[in-house]
Amino acid sequence: MRFFDPHVHMTSRTTDDYEAMAAAGVRAVIEPAFWLGQPRTQVGTFVDYFSNLVGWERFRASQFGIAHYCAIGLNSKEANDANLERPVLDLVRRFACKQGVVAIGEIGFDDITQAEERVYREQLAMALEFETVAMVHSPHRDKKEGVRRSLEIAFEMGLAPERLVIDHNNEETVEAVLESGAWAAFTIYPHTKMSPVRMSDLVERFGPERMIVNSSGDWGISDPLAVPRTAQLMLSRGIAAEAVRAVTWGNAIAAYSQSGQIDVAGLSQEPVIDQRAMFEDNSVLRGQRPRVGRAALAALAARAEGGQV
Amino acid sequence: MDLAAARSLFAAWLAPRLGGQARSTFDAWAEALAGGVDDGEFCVLLSRACRLAEQRPLKPNATECAAASELLVGLNPERWSELETMRVALVLARSDLNQQSGAAALEEAFRYADMGELCALYRSLAFLPDGARFAWRCGEGHRTNMVSVFEANALDTPYPATHLDDTALFQIVIKCLHLASPLWRLVGLDGRLNSDLARMALDLADERRSALRPVQPMLWLCLGQNGGQRAASSLALELKQGSVAGRRGAALGCGRAGLTEELELALLEEKELLVRDSLTKALSGHITQEMFAALETPDAITKENN
Ligand SMILES: [Zn+2]
Repeated sequence: MRFFDPHVHMTSRTTDDYEAMAAAGVRAVIEPAFWLGQPRTQVGTFVDYFSNLVGWERFRASQFGIAHYCAIGLNSKEANDANLERPVLDLVRRFACKQGVVAIGEIGFDDITQAEERVYREQLAMALEFETVAMVHSPHRDKKEGVRRSLEIAFEMGLAPERLVIDHNNEETVEAVLESGAWAAFTIYPHTKMSPVRMSDLVERFGPERMIVNSSGDWGISDPLAVPRTAQLMLSRGIAAEAVRAVTWGNAIAAYSQSGQIDVAGLSQEPVIDQRAMFEDNSVLRGQRPRVGRAALAALAARAEGGQV
Repeated sequence: MDLAAARSLFAAWLAPRLGGQARSTFDAWAEALAGGVDDGEFCVLLSRACRLAEQRPLKPNATECAAASELLVGLNPERWSELETMRVALVLARSDLNQQSGAAALEEAFRYADMGELCALYRSLAFLPDGARFAWRCGEGHRTNMVSVFEANALDTPYPATHLDDTALFQIVIKCLHLASPLWRLVGLDGRLNSDLARMALDLADERRSALRPVQPMLWLCLGQNGGQRAASSLALELKQGSVAGRRGAALGCGRAGLTEELELALLEEKELLVRDSLTKALSGHITQEMFAALETPDAITKENN
């Protein structure tokens, strides 16, 4: 089975993670711009961070046969820094129209402040202007109210529900999101947000339509294999393969390909491993044969037997 | 560089490859750029080109390749994409490229570029007036670890050999070997070979052998007639113990060094047809860097680890 993890912060992860993800069948990821664990103090660090998402990180993923897309946005925590707000929003505008940027995100509320709302609104306006998708982070504190207001504001701004993804849902928020017509995404965390078992319960209860599973793997305790692991559990519990495919692959593609920035046909093909990834000169694969995961290596070996390599 | 000729050449390449809507949008953008836009807008247009042009290979035909080298000796668009072509065309649409404002806008574009934009921006360096202004930027391009970006900057363009000093150029050469990038595509390399580069290449060959790793077959194109007895011994060793690709590379290297005796000796013993072919070629005449293209096959790369 192949998987799409539509919310994972790969800049915080190692090549071992990439290798394990490729081996487990993760074919594509979306890396939304977010907070780095501590506040940035100047706009220049945002320039380099956004550049990294569309540059080096994209290349790093490609060496493991993983397609790397990203979302660009000013996150809700740093939206509260008045010195950053204007210049970073101008920067978001510049990066949002780049190739492979599939959404404005992750945006939304954290403390549910006025500044957060102002920045959220301006970025929703950009999603409308650029005819793309909005990936909305829901807050950890006062989550239910945060989700309600996130939906309300997005629709008031004129965003179509099918272009809105509300993330980090739980049992208390899922109904409001599904009823609104937006996509409901769920973050599977080892200890907190949502577990594979609870996720399976939700898919059994609400069905697979507009439900999306992600890992939100980052610099904290998190699991970059959460999507394949959850799929495995759902299958073992007897959830139809078609439903599992929808929540771990198809729905994310349907939602984010509305940006026009996902090569859907390309994703459906076997991953291509670049032979030139065999290099060592101070790069991630230092002196080793490329470690691209069992599935990809098997595919490569099969092609070699076919005489094409 | 005749900028007007470059503009019309790239416009001619794009025309049959774009839909009508994309074509008129491109024309409008080019006109806006010629009239002058602020640096932010310039960056945005370069980004948005991905919505007009496809990322697929340009696949230039023979006429188009001929026109390319007529425009600029050494320019090889074989590995360009349609999208890169459009981005280069958008850069060249600016009317201030010979001024400080044009150079500053370009640097701003580099600063905000994604991986694909970087490739196109580096490809554009060869067409810019007063090209020496961008030598530092070209150096930045070879410090990258993104292979596609490195190759767009280093290969198929006369820029590096025209504008870089030996220190910078030879770093590119050795990095090509480390990255298994097709070194024969480094335009103008044959004109820059010297004893320093030969020494670096021979040191690398020794380093590889000490680590019990195969010597990169394309390494042998770094020698030319330089390196003296040390080069001759290293080549002879490779002819004896190298993989098929390694022996082929060494054969061509011997041909360039004029080591006729070694070649004739090897021909007596060699059973492998591909290697015999290279030995015969090496004995029969002038071996250019382009002739090392024969080593750039997937076969050569996989065999490297035998
Ligand atoms: Zn996140």
